[in-house]
Amino acid sequence: MRWFSRLAGALGALSPTCKRATRLQSEAMDRRLSFLEKLGLRLHLFLCKWCRRYGAQLKFLRSAARECEEHGSRQEPQTLSPEARERIKHTLQSGQD
Amino acid sequence: METDDEPTTSQALPTERAKATPGLSDPERWVELYGDFLFKYAIMRLRDPANAEDAVQETFLAALKGREAFAGRSAEKSWLVGILKNKICDHYRRASRETSFTDLEFYSDEESSRFVAEGALKGAWIHELGPREWPNPGESLDNEKFWQAYRDCCGKLPKNVAAVFNLREVDDLDSKGICGMLDISENNLWVMLHRARMALRRCLETNWFGKGGEAL
Repeated sequence: MRWFSRLAGALGALSPTCKRATRLQSEAMDRRLSFLEKLGLRLHLFLCKWCRRYGAQLKFLRSAARECEEHGSRQEPQTLSPEARERIKHTLQSGQD
Repeated sequence: METDDEPTTSQALPTERAKATPGLSDPERWVELYGDFLFKYAIMRLRDPANAEDAVQETFLAALKGREAFAGRSAEKSWLVGILKNKICDHYRRASRETSFTDLEFYSDEESSRFVAEGALKGAWIHELGPREWPNPGESLDNEKFWQAYRDCCGKLPKNVAAVFNLREVDDLDSKGICGMLDISENNLWVMLHRARMALRRCLETNWFGKGGEAL
């Protein structure tokens, strides 16, 4: 069974650490990973439930961020304040003179 | 071309010239016509009312100066939006010069303590400190209190980091677009996004999911 332990060793060397895997999972959301990065990450995720969780939670964050506009808009004003309106009008007028 | 009643006044006043510019309305009406539209556009991207107001004002002033060049090539509104986009880019460029996007304390690798420091398992999650199971995250999205927690957590990110995170995740700009806008390297951007996600994830876990969020 020596070939088996060698294979396991080689696969293990391909798999990144959890720390590195968190970074790779984040970067996979922003760029194309290289073939080896992808392979290593797949392998790691197959073995590691913590990092699987981490990845699922990052995806959740993304979906939350996309919806936050609807839920956050009440926080931010959507129209110019009356003061700003007057100030800008005034500046425009003096800019014209 | 409008007919000129007074051929002697070759140096017409700016206002009169504006009225003569084809396709362009009177600058005095710009605030009423486009003020709110431009403000809404700006605040989505700048996330700060004062900065958004400034950007709108700068846009109108630049438009006033540049209206000779307008010449009705595009619709007035999209012309103004084009100027506003540049003003927003300027804002981010200034911000990236002032507080650098890269050397904040935020980047000191605080999460390192959650990974095994040495030995054969170096870099693996310390199990007690690894990601917890989040109960029904989908349901949280319907809970107003979740959004309060989400906003609080976003508020804890350094402003620039939050802006980068929003440009990527809310506005869905790609890496190249954001890097061009902020004048930072892609590698830099990816580190920032990684840290932002890590921090947000942990904050939500502590302040929402860890407290049995959906039961609140």
